[in-house]
Amino acid sequence: MAGIRIENLVVGYGTEPVISSLSLEIADGTLFTLLGPSGCGKTTLLRTIAGFVPVRAGKLAFGNRDVTHRPAYLRDIGMVFQDYALFPDKSVYDNVAYGLRARRVDETAIKTTVSEYLERVGLSAFAQRLPAALSGGQRQRVALARALAIKPTVLLMDEPLSNLDAKLRVQVRETIADLQREVGITTVLVTHDQEEALALSDRIGLLRMGRLEQVGTPEDLYARPVSAYVADFVGAANILPVEVAVPTISGASAQVRLDGMSLEVLAPTGLPAGAAILVARGETLSLGAASGATTNAIRCTVRRRQYLGGRTSFRVATDAGRDIVVEAHGAAPTFAVGDKVSLRFDPVRTLVVAS
Amino acid sequence: MTHTPRDVWFWLSALALALFALFLLYPLLNVLSASLAASPSGQSGWATLLGEARYRTAIVNTLMLGAVVTVTSTLIGVPLAFVAARFSFPGKALIALLPMTTLIVPEVIAAQTWLMILGNNGIVTRAFADWGILIPSFYGWFGLITVMTFIYYTYVYIGTLAAIKGFDAQLEEASQSLGVPPGRTLLRVMVPVVAPSILASALLVFTLVVGNFAVATILGQRVHLLSVLTYQSFVSEVGTNPVMQSTLASVSIAIVACALFAQRWIVSRGRFEIVQGRGAKPRPLGGLSMLPITIGAAVIVVISLLPLATVVAGAFTRARGPVMRWGEWTTANMERVFLSASDPIVNTLIFAGIATVLSLIVSTLAGFLIVKKRNILTPGIDYLSSLPLALSGTVLGIGLVMSFNGAWLPLAGSGAIVVVAYLIRRLPFGIRNASATLYNIPNSLEDASISLGVPPVRTFLKVILPLMVPSIAAACVLVWTTTVAELSASVVVYSAGQETMPIQIFRLIDSNLMAQASAYGLVLVGIILVPILIATTVFKIDLFATK
Ligand SMILES: Nc1ncnc2c1ncn2[C@@H]1O[C@H](COP(=O)(O)OP(=O)(O)OP(=O)(O)O)[C@@H](O)[C@H]1O
Ligand SMILES: [Mg+2]
Repeated sequence: MAGIRIENLVVGYGTEPVISSLSLEIADGTLFTLLGPSGCGKTTLLRTIAGFVPVRAGKLAFGNRDVTHRPAYLRDIGMVFQDYALFPDKSVYDNVAYGLRARRVDETAIKTTVSEYLERVGLSAFAQRLPAALSGGQRQRVALARALAIKPTVLLMDEPLSNLDAKLRVQVRETIADLQREVGITTVLVTHDQEEALALSDRIGLLRMGRLEQVGTPEDLYARPVSAYVADFVGAANILPVEVAVPTISGASAQVRLDGMSLEVLAPTGLPAGAAILVARGETLSLGAASGATTNAIRCTVRRRQYLGGRTSFRVATDAGRDIVVEAHGAAPTFAVGDKVSLRFDPVRTLVVAS
Repeated sequence: MTHTPRDVWFWLSALALALFALFLLYPLLNVLSASLAASPSGQSGWATLLGEARYRTAIVNTLMLGAVVTVTSTLIGVPLAFVAARFSFPGKALIALLPMTTLIVPEVIAAQTWLMILGNNGIVTRAFADWGILIPSFYGWFGLITVMTFIYYTYVYIGTLAAIKGFDAQLEEASQSLGVPPGRTLLRVMVPVVAPSILASALLVFTLVVGNFAVATILGQRVHLLSVLTYQSFVSEVGTNPVMQSTLASVSIAIVACALFAQRWIVSRGRFEIVQGRGAKPRPLGGLSMLPITIGAAVIVVISLLPLATVVAGAFTRARGPVMRWGEWTTANMERVFLSASDPIVNTLIFAGIATVLSLIVSTLAGFLIVKKRNILTPGIDYLSSLPLALSGTVLGIGLVMSFNGAWLPLAGSGAIVVVAYLIRRLPFGIRNASATLYNIPNSLEDASISLGVPPVRTFLKVILPLMVPSIAAACVLVWTTTVAELSASVVVYSAGQETMPIQIFRLIDSNLMAQASAYGLVLVGIILVPILIATTVFKIDLFATK
């Protein structure tokens, strides 16, 4: 087992590269998620790591082993495909045994290993079935067992849950997380489902048009996005154009002007004076009576109120007519549509980033 | 899917491309360029073509025959397909056997048996003559149209049936729910959707008629036809001057190519995305409407099976020279075929056996390269491999003889050239069959195997090939049955001692020795039928799913 190191990787199909000069370090034994919108190059990057897409420039290594130009079948990877890719003419047992046979493991050892992994994914009873006689979730678990049975250096998964329905997705997600931790294998998972990414990953890389926009823990991406793009992609956020009054250094608080009101917020990266973007998640905002405290707050009018059980969602409009969504938890203040309110920004959890 | 640019697949593609270029493109170019050369008489082939009335007539006749047979085949094939798809009635199971008859009865036998029935010495002709009724001569237009129609309507039938079965019956219900009565619904909703398939199969029939050699030669007589003249000028010109045969061959290539382009255009324009619905359940026919339909279908079935019955009867009927003594049974014909003149049987088995095995290997591999391993060479393979569709057997044979009688690759005269001719004629079918299967095998299966540590070529053998086995088996049977029946190319390229059964039958018909011809015919039918029966009953292979 080993970590994955990618240096200045360039990959493409036609003339334009899909991935241009990407560098990334994935620590040994961790689960890394590649997150990003459709067409940003997630599959391409994953298949490059697997060895199915040739590298144009740069370096790719598993631990100390340079695998940049090593053919896929010699890379010692386990791969789980979106459509499972189970061999339809082979039984569950033979599917899981396939990679072991390729490695000329003797049949008794194969038997032990296959049984072990089928046990782990809870499919011991299904060893002799053909893939066609399994449910979607069961097929997915066979695919997982097959990839893990060869004890690969790295485990690669391309949208492994996208063909499952919502409830099953959560179940199989748990299976994957548990197995990954048990086996302790370096794993790269591709998804465009941000909730899945947040729930599963040790670290997430957010990919945007072939470049890594931000790499960090789920908390990093959610609470400390480096750009409005990240904030918007990972969870919902209010994105508001503001003016930075004086240049700030990274990690310091900054004074910004929103619709003429001055607010104190946090700047995760250093910013010059001028136009910038304010990122405020709904649950970091709070509403108060218009007559109450006005520090770090602006005046708004309630436009819509939705009771959602555990929380209440308000849409308020600033005097300048800007819409902002506020999520109030627990005992929510009871404002009605049309009420004048004071919208307070949390000086530590509201961020300003470059536009 | 792209690996390093020069992997094993690249070199295999290069090899395939080189072979196709050598055995396909080179003969074709030879034919086309020879047609432009001046003949010893000083006139170019094209000038002769336009100058001589019989060539002009031949072109017109060929086009006319193509058009007429296309129409008559459609008139039989389409209603039959509609009835088979939508109604159930007593004896319907027999109709399902019809596509088999074209497969089981080679064209040369169809022509022969029709002659035995309606020819100058035919059973029916003689019977009517005894009653004083004179039937018009079966040679010429009457025979050509009748025989070709009953050979080719099955193509329209199969194409139409598939289209109607694929049609979503809910669309009809939708139309009726909107207030359009059933009859008009059919015209407005179903016809536009299935029409492209009908047109495409009709055009296929047209190309087959233009290229037809066996029926045209045996029954054409005084009606000049392109394929017959091409063959005749080849036979009379060998070694002297290839200009006229090449010119005539080029004309037929041009006609067929036009029809194929039209077909492609129709298919590409008319491909409607049918959202998987359910087909209509066949409705039982009751009462009076049943009678004409059942009778009509029965007549078509009986006529289609007539050649089969005739060939069996003929094989066991005593004959003195050309005179068939109907009613006097004997096993002498069969004994002769097996004991003293079995060379054609042996030749057929050897040539067709080798060609079938090679054809399956080549088309599986070529299909795999075209579908799964695209590189700069594979489009070339794709295009070249569909070329034989535009070449009638006669034209292909002439091209091969012109190209390989020289010093550097003297195949002409050896059995190899017969095998090559067989191989090339069946190539488009084999590759289309393999490609269709491969498109249904997801790429991820191959990636999965490779990711588990199995190298590319072994992955192909262990994962892809096993999944192709059912379709390869079906293709094997179909390639075999059509190859043992091949006449038009092999009759051009064979040399003395290499007669196959169809060639032998063709020669015997020419000498009017129908009993002997029937005996070979019966053996040929057996050689075709046995694999089909084994495949469909023992291995439960669905032969026509792939066609
Ligand atoms: N085989 C190919 N040939 C040419 N271009 C390709 C090929 N595969 C992908 N691309 C292009 O590369 C870009 C990245 O594609 P990729 O499949 O990596 O996206 P993705 O992030 O996985 O998207 P999705 O979430 O939709 O799966 C896209 O613009 C796509 O059109
Ligand atoms: Mg993808």
